[in-house]
Amino acid sequence: MKIDVQSLDTFNQLAHEGAQEATRSMTQMTGIEATVEVTRISLVDRKDIGEELGNDAEFVGVQFGFDGALTGETVLIFEREQSAAIVEALVPGGMADESMAQSSVKEIGNIMMSGFIDGWAEHLGTSIEHTPPSYIERQGKDVLPEGPETDEHDQVFVFRSEIQWEGEDVSFYIYMLPEYTPLTELMAEHGSSGTDAIPIKKLAAFNQMNREGTRRAAENVEMMSGIETEAEVSQISFAPIEDVPKRFGKETHVGTAVEFTGAPSGFLLVLFDEQSAITVAEGLMPVDMDSDELTDQHKAAIEELGNIMTSGFVDGWANVLQRSVEHTPPRLVHDMGQAIIDPLAAQLGQHQRHAFMIDSTMKTEELEFESKIHALPNEQELRKALDDLDVDRADQTEADADRLF
Amino acid sequence: MAEVLIADDSEFMRNLLREILEEDHNIIGEVENGVEAVEMFKEEEPDLVMMDIVMPIRDGIEATDEIKTEYPNSNVIMCTSVGQEEKMKEAVKAGADGYITKPFQKPSVIEAIQDVVPS
Repeated sequence: MKIDVQSLDTFNQLAHEGAQEATRSMTQMTGIEATVEVTRISLVDRKDIGEELGNDAEFVGVQFGFDGALTGETVLIFEREQSAAIVEALVPGGMADESMAQSSVKEIGNIMMSGFIDGWAEHLGTSIEHTPPSYIERQGKDVLPEGPETDEHDQVFVFRSEIQWEGEDVSFYIYMLPEYTPLTELMAEHGSSGTDAIPIKKLAAFNQMNREGTRRAAENVEMMSGIETEAEVSQISFAPIEDVPKRFGKETHVGTAVEFTGAPSGFLLVLFDEQSAITVAEGLMPVDMDSDELTDQHKAAIEELGNIMTSGFVDGWANVLQRSVEHTPPRLVHDMGQAIIDPLAAQLGQHQRHAFMIDSTMKTEELEFESKIHALPNEQELRKALDDLDVDRADQTEADADRLF
Repeated sequence: MAEVLIADDSEFMRNLLREILEEDHNIIGEVENGVEAVEMFKEEEPDLVMMDIVMPIRDGIEATDEIKTEYPNSNVIMCTSVGQEEKMKEAVKAGADGYITKPFQKPSVIEAIQDVVPS
């Protein structure tokens, strides 16, 4: 089965418009002005769904099941603290009565999500039934459903919209978790199956290769710094190119940027938050710097680590595809996330309207440490590379130097 | 003691290699790109070059190719983060004598050198 960029775009647009409709309903009911910041469709391992929500934040919201042309689950969630403002806007004093607060969240969720699902049905010219809403309150990623048990696929498509409360630093999220088979059948039906079509099996194999690349990059971090690091998530997302910078936020990051050429070409970022950068750089250096500030020596260490992590990540692509992927020497970046990605996205945006993004995260339990790898490949070249990908070779990501020397 | 030239654009990695090697080897110089590597090789004719691949101005494979063409008995070990089979084949073609991938531990570096320049 194949999906094409057009159908990915159509379905992403559907989710975006659905989220806009849901947001309009909320604004109408509460007076709270909000906008849909980002909508993206991701192919992700079932167990990694919602990893970006972390483990600690408390969420409340509503969950629906839906059935028909599409089958699955969808949720609308707010951080618990934010829900208070919504409840107060709907029912002044409502937060004092827990039952009333829950009922308010349930009702606004019902209205918002009905608009979201109805938009899909209308566009697809079909009917999608949904269950009555269930109120949910859980921590972190546990707030999301695991996905339909009947679905045998390890990797699933997830639609995620982030809605930003204007003037406030808070967001709401809509997650739609459709069953894999009906969704991909529908996507194939709505695509052109022309030259830009991607076999879904190959996209999934590519995602698996990236997971392996992330594991190797995590091993490299561990070997160099002594920090026990685990590869957490690897996902491929698809979004309009103008939405890419919004995903990087305003938090300051330190890391490296490289441009890679070959098949595919594009950009790759290895990023750390400032504290993680200091932690890992200290681990790399033989002498204890014991500094709270990022020094030139820290930066030199990060630059080399970024270089090695980049290679660890893209070498797998090259070895499976049996070609070479060149990359430039790493350039140190130290800025707001959006400012780092902006010029790279703009450069890719000269040739394409949409972007595939490959995102991976590495973490450690022992320390406050997190690192992310983001690859932004040229869309056409990625499609060509996937076309050439031999799925049966997808596990052959490592080369054996001893055999050649 | 074998004379070693280190060619790597990363100051961090040059320092690391120096620490690993200086006890048993004579580090005759450190350079940051392939052009400087060829120039210093011609001046010093060391026993061994530890050569990075991804470097600005001129990469390590091109530099190795020139060194090995002019000095067929020279010894070059690629010391790189690149773990791609196609790149390894290019390194073989350029005449490299060994290949170690970063990150590395001291024993693997010493072993690779022993294979190429036995003490």
